[in-house]
Amino acid sequence: MRVMRFIVRIAMISVCLLSVLPVSAQTAAEILDKVDDNEIYKSIIHEGEMIIEYQGRTFVKTFKVWGRENKDSFIEFTNPEDRGTKYLKKDGRLYVYSPDTEQIMLISGHMLKESMMGSDMSYEDTIENERLSRRYTATFLEDEKVDGRDCWVLDLAAIKPTESYQKRRLWVAKDNFDMVRAEFYALSGAKLKEYTLIRSELIQGQSFPMESEMRDLLRKNSKTTFRVINLELNAPVSDRIFSTRNLR
Amino acid sequence: MLSVIAWRNIGRNRRRSILCITAVGIAVFFIIFMNSWMDGMFIGIENTVRTYETGHVLAVSEGFEAEKEYLPVQFPLEKGFGGTEDYSDENSARENPSRGTEDYFSDDELIRLAESLPEVRGALPRIQIHASLFDNVVKHALVWGIDIDREREINHFNLTKRTDGLVSGRFPANDANECVIGTVLAEKAGLRIGDRIPLKTVSAEFSDKYWSPEITGIFEFDYRKMDEDTIIVPIDRLQRILGLGDRAQQLVVFAHDQRDSERIKADMEQLLGDRTVIRTWSDNYWVAMYRSMTWLYYIIFGVFQVVASFLIVNTVLMMIHERIKEIGMMGALGMKRAEIVFIFFMEAVYLSILGATAGVFLGGVATWVGSQFPFDMTTITGGGMKDLPVSGTLYLVFSPTMLIQNFFFGVVISALCTIIPSLKSAFVEPVEALRR
Repeated sequence: MRVMRFIVRIAMISVCLLSVLPVSAQTAAEILDKVDDNEIYKSIIHEGEMIIEYQGRTFVKTFKVWGRENKDSFIEFTNPEDRGTKYLKKDGRLYVYSPDTEQIMLISGHMLKESMMGSDMSYEDTIENERLSRRYTATFLEDEKVDGRDCWVLDLAAIKPTESYQKRRLWVAKDNFDMVRAEFYALSGAKLKEYTLIRSELIQGQSFPMESEMRDLLRKNSKTTFRVINLELNAPVSDRIFSTRNLR
Repeated sequence: MLSVIAWRNIGRNRRRSILCITAVGIAVFFIIFMNSWMDGMFIGIENTVRTYETGHVLAVSEGFEAEKEYLPVQFPLEKGFGGTEDYSDENSARENPSRGTEDYFSDDELIRLAESLPEVRGALPRIQIHASLFDNVVKHALVWGIDIDREREINHFNLTKRTDGLVSGRFPANDANECVIGTVLAEKAGLRIGDRIPLKTVSAEFSDKYWSPEITGIFEFDYRKMDEDTIIVPIDRLQRILGLGDRAQQLVVFAHDQRDSERIKADMEQLLGDRTVIRTWSDNYWVAMYRSMTWLYYIIFGVFQVVASFLIVNTVLMMIHERIKEIGMMGALGMKRAEIVFIFFMEAVYLSILGATAGVFLGGVATWVGSQFPFDMTTITGGGMKDLPVSGTLYLVFSPTMLIQNFFFGVVISALCTIIPSLKSAFVEPVEALRR
């Protein structure tokens, strides 16, 4: 009788463990997949504003963005100081055209690690193409409330050693899979950057980040706020936009 | 008479006397050589700091001073309160920190104000920024925007040859998209005259600025940091690219006489107002550090001389021991204790004088040779001292004053060391001594 009771208990505990462990592992991957889905589009056109606060000063930059299939994008800066500076991301490469040189330059190697237009975002951050779920292994950490929103906290470990951030921690809203907060870590475990979602909007069934903030923790008292204005998702975009000829 | 006895006594044990003289001579030679080396190094640091960093007086804005390790261009020299270009309504200006173009000094204004002081030889606006290089093994460089013609009139960039330092090609023309680079940078990056050097800098409006100046010349300033890291461009071109207009990040002022630096600093504080930080070259970290270390060197030299003097101390003690009967006899014949002490003391002093003379002679010859034929520090240190602001060529300083000072330094320290052992002879009882 005692033996039977023991076997039943062990069986119940095993069932509980087996039912919990795979579900949380699967859920973390699924959550990450849903986060990726939020940012998938056929094409995107919008204007934007980048507000950089650094060294006690504020710099505002405005730009226009055209993008397609999360792969190619074209950015043209429109604020007076940067007017004419254009970036083209194509086939995983980043080109820049500056009116000062009247030359197209390829940003590669160590340059990719540098700040883009003085912001807290690096060039490398801007050319990330592939879905997070393909580049990172997600594990569920805990539930947490962020600004009153119920969130899952996920730990992401890079699959490839070449990834610019070897570890990320994401806070994903349970209601719409918004990435409400993210932390980016180096291989050493040092926190490099922080991302905070300020506002998102539901556009064509997708929750799209309309205002967010990035902090490069290696820069003292620095933050950059990104604002998306006049967003158009999945509108037709000409192929000519994504050509180096369009940079000039 | 007693001095003659002391002098003659030196020859009684020649080997021991020669050893004493040699020890004091080596100590004095070492001190002279090191003193001369340190002076050469110090002069080198002062020259480098004055030529490339501060002039005799340096003016920067408060914002630049706070973030100076990043060499920001967001903080050009601005007009302050209490300066010549004062605000009419000081309070409202203080309350509203947002500043327009008219609130900054232009290059011409800065030069005019600084050169209005009679002690000033010339004022040079400068800009220094970090740059990232494209497609190159050298990833980063320092871009130095200067008024090349004015700089060449006032400054000798090559610290050793006292020339403008250009080894081939020419300096860039005003406002041209041209640059000159150092020999080491050219070699490392595989760049030649006629090549372009694509680079990225950050502007005053915090924008990425890409440009590609053409190399028109190669320079060698004999200062590793400049030769390896620096790209020199015309200041007007750099101002345009960085969106600075006619504003400058730094104002470097050269005086007719460097002793007027403090006076110029005080006058410029009055002229430029309270938003400007003004320093003299002597406030530079390296200059101040070397100055504060001077006493430490003197202590080290003193210890070295004392150690060398131990040989004389030992000699005096041995002499007293050897001549104990002689001391007793001198006492018995009526010689006073002070006279006996004087003989031994003078013998030690003569040994010190002979040693110090030999040391001064050798030191003088060595430092004179070193002042004519300099040391190649780049070779000695295996690539130069990049972090220390000093030229790659070190001249020793030959100074007769220094030789005389060190002669007396050697003699006085050695003599002081022998007073106590010499006194031992005073306490020898004649009867006891004669009995031994």
